[in-house]
Amino acid sequence: MYSLLFKSFFRTKIFLISLVLLMSIGVISILIGKQYLVKQEKTIVAAQEFQDQSIKRNVEYHNDDLGLLLYYLRFTLINKPENINAISIGQSDVNPLLQTVTIRGLEGQKYDTDFENPSLLMSGNLDLGFVIIYLFPLILIAMTFNLYSEEKELGTWKILAAQTSKKASFLFKKLIVRILFVFAVLVLLLFMASAILQIPLNQNFWAIFLQSILYLCFWSALCLWMVSLLKSSSFNALALISIWVVLTILIPAIVNNYVINTYQVPEALDAMVEQRDGYHEKWDLEKDATMTGFLEAYPQFAKYSVPEDEFSWIWYYGMQHMGDLAAEGTSKEMMEKVMKRNTVSENIAFFIPTMHAQLSFNSLAGTDMISHLEFLKALSKFHEDLRLGFYTKVFDKKSADSLNWKNHEAKFYATKQDFSWLHLMLPTLIITMIIGVFGAINLQRL
Amino acid sequence: MRKNVIFLLARQLCKDAFRSKVMLIASLLILFLLLFSAYTGWENYHDQNLTRGLVQDDVQESWESNPDKHPHRMAHYGSFALRKKHVLSGFDLGMENFVGNAVFLEAHKQNTVNFSEASMSTGLLRFGEVSLAMLLKVIIPLLIFYLGFATIAKERENGTLKLLIGQGITRKEIVFGKWLGLWSLSLIFLFTVFLVVLFFVLIGSHDHLHSDTLIRYFVLLLSYLLFFGILSAITILISAFSKTAKGALVKLLGIWLLFVIIMPKSLQAIGYYFYPTPSKIEMETAVEHDLTKLGDSHNPDDPHFKALKDSVLLAHNVQKVDDLPFNYGGFIMAQGEKLSTAVYLDHQERLYEVYTQQNNVERYSAFINPYTAIKNLSMAFSGTDFKSYLHFKSKAEAYRFKLAQDMNQLQMDFIPNKGKEGPSKISNKYWKEFPPFEYKFLAITKVFKNEVISILALCLWGFLVIFGLSRLSTNLKAI
Repeated sequence: MYSLLFKSFFRTKIFLISLVLLMSIGVISILIGKQYLVKQEKTIVAAQEFQDQSIKRNVEYHNDDLGLLLYYLRFTLINKPENINAISIGQSDVNPLLQTVTIRGLEGQKYDTDFENPSLLMSGNLDLGFVIIYLFPLILIAMTFNLYSEEKELGTWKILAAQTSKKASFLFKKLIVRILFVFAVLVLLLFMASAILQIPLNQNFWAIFLQSILYLCFWSALCLWMVSLLKSSSFNALALISIWVVLTILIPAIVNNYVINTYQVPEALDAMVEQRDGYHEKWDLEKDATMTGFLEAYPQFAKYSVPEDEFSWIWYYGMQHMGDLAAEGTSKEMMEKVMKRNTVSENIAFFIPTMHAQLSFNSLAGTDMISHLEFLKALSKFHEDLRLGFYTKVFDKKSADSLNWKNHEAKFYATKQDFSWLHLMLPTLIITMIIGVFGAINLQRL
Repeated sequence: MRKNVIFLLARQLCKDAFRSKVMLIASLLILFLLLFSAYTGWENYHDQNLTRGLVQDDVQESWESNPDKHPHRMAHYGSFALRKKHVLSGFDLGMENFVGNAVFLEAHKQNTVNFSEASMSTGLLRFGEVSLAMLLKVIIPLLIFYLGFATIAKERENGTLKLLIGQGITRKEIVFGKWLGLWSLSLIFLFTVFLVVLFFVLIGSHDHLHSDTLIRYFVLLLSYLLFFGILSAITILISAFSKTAKGALVKLLGIWLLFVIIMPKSLQAIGYYFYPTPSKIEMETAVEHDLTKLGDSHNPDDPHFKALKDSVLLAHNVQKVDDLPFNYGGFIMAQGEKLSTAVYLDHQERLYEVYTQQNNVERYSAFINPYTAIKNLSMAFSGTDFKSYLHFKSKAEAYRFKLAQDMNQLQMDFIPNKGKEGPSKISNKYWKEFPPFEYKFLAITKVFKNEVISILALCLWGFLVIFGLSRLSTNLKAI
């Protein structure tokens, strides 16, 4: 039975079109992922070289003034890329891969962006995640919308109905053949991605793998349900495409508008101004206005004297730090707002499989909002460690030569995110089962 | 062709459509989307501009309230430029949420424009955003296809097409009548949306720019009018040349997916694939490399600045820089700023050229895909395209440069050289004299120039479908 169904399916035009379309766009998406990884690698090499060269050159110019040298020197923290990023590039094109900072105020440097073509950001990356979320459902729809109605409209259904008592199981098998084909292409593409992009077959890869399968199960169930209503081909095509538009375009976009408008982040702009003013106003104030706050934060530097009527580095870096302190509260509120946006989006996504698939792909690939926020936290820590390490040497008026610059190469930060299988699988699983059961019940009545 | 016959056919199509369930469901859905996107679009425009306006005012106030100080301190104090949204961004969001909103302007350094909405968003943003323009560009076309796929094909299947022709109605009249009917149907939605946008334009006062905004508005209206005409014609043509209504629907859905979803994204990706761009750190390295070659004002032994010094000394007939009639430090910084800005802008220009090459792959596809034409046109005239953003960026950079150079000039004029008598501070009245950052949107003539390709493509499509309708309608099969 199955072999005949497969044979007849392989002879259809839609089979050939689907195969060519999915495979070619799938391979393109993997290559785009590859290019993305290559670009990241190039950027990292450039950053390492930049830091190396700039230390060498500036140490030569400003050997006797370590304070001035550190005014110029920039240190790099890199959000260590994983190859799995390339499956779902997510937000990692908007958020920079690395940040190079001086030991001056961090707030003014933390949010600097990398260069990226906004047109590309707008249209989004054609990564494998996109192919799975958008194109696979379309192919499923194209192959199943006339599963029953075609036979009915061509008149073959009557002949068939006369020859078998298990009409429902025939339709079901016909559907299974098509779904199996789509799954086969999906599995093939995922393994190709793993091979071409050298993604280790670890827990995150298998989670993406299973999430993709589950996501397509959801669409299969939806198609089954639509077929089970026994409507005309035109109606099915119209209805399924409308559902696709609603699920992949309208609802996520509406939620996005809602989240952006409800949780606006004016704090970002406020913090930016507060940091500058918090630092600059100190130039016109008594030295105490700076030193009190600075020494409260870092009492270990109390032993250094601050001359009242002349410039000193302890005062200068103290002022810089006061800028960060001035913006600290607002900056924290900003981060909380952004987190809030993320939480609200994730909660709504539990009910919408398309959104859930996208957000979990990003999170599993480490390209989501949270990964970037974690990186920013690590950057603050990195910055503080740098400052505290250098402060003593600057305040002690050490010469630049006396430091071991070899230790100051670009540093890596590796994200470590846990995920819960339950949160990942359950929402889509439940929705799929409900729709599937409705479809099966309808078909039994055939 | 008889006008009254065409109108009769058109009216009939509209009447039939209003009786169909598709129209009812679609109208309700679109009404909801219209209200939602009008509300969020307006709210977003209004709130963001309000916040940014307040911050911009604060920035100016704190600039002016600085006490007497050394002008170079003020050059470092700097300023901020906040990107104002055009009122039509409430209609078409375009790239609004993907470009930065605020940039710190200081001496010696070109900072990035930060805090784009995208940088503070989750991955959901990639699904797109709902805006009034998105309704017109993405959803209504689908509706036109839904409402129009059966028009001629179904009549043929039912045999009524034969009857019409038998009654002496020409094939041309049928095709044009149906086309006119479908087009007018789509215009109901178009005019509703544009009525809302008219309110935006009238109450969202860009004061002096009112006439400018109205021109943008009418260009948008005309473009969408044409776009819907083209889509209606494509629908009628596909319906006329498909054996069955089902076949027509499947073809039209395929066209919609290809035009709206697959093609724009794939072409953008292809553009990106073929024209790689450097990362920021790579460009900064290149800028620094060029600067050290040309002249590094931080390097005491730099030949360029050494030669400059000698020529200045010679011109003023003095032995030491401290004897010059102006502040030498200010002079060197002004020269350094000029040099580094020129080098930076040169590299940036090259980067934007690559972006343009990347975008052109999609842009030129307007000749095969009318959606691309309307997408780019709509963004450009709503002031939310890449060029509008670059215009803001270049204005902000010009302001930064003027700020740094004015402060350098003040230093040259009023601050004494080392070892000479004189003040180390100047009066704060000079800060108040420096004008605030005021952004004016891209001139409408420039927008036209930027969008020549899209306008041309859209007009070409217009001619093509009229030609198609009139030539091919003679071949219409009655059965």
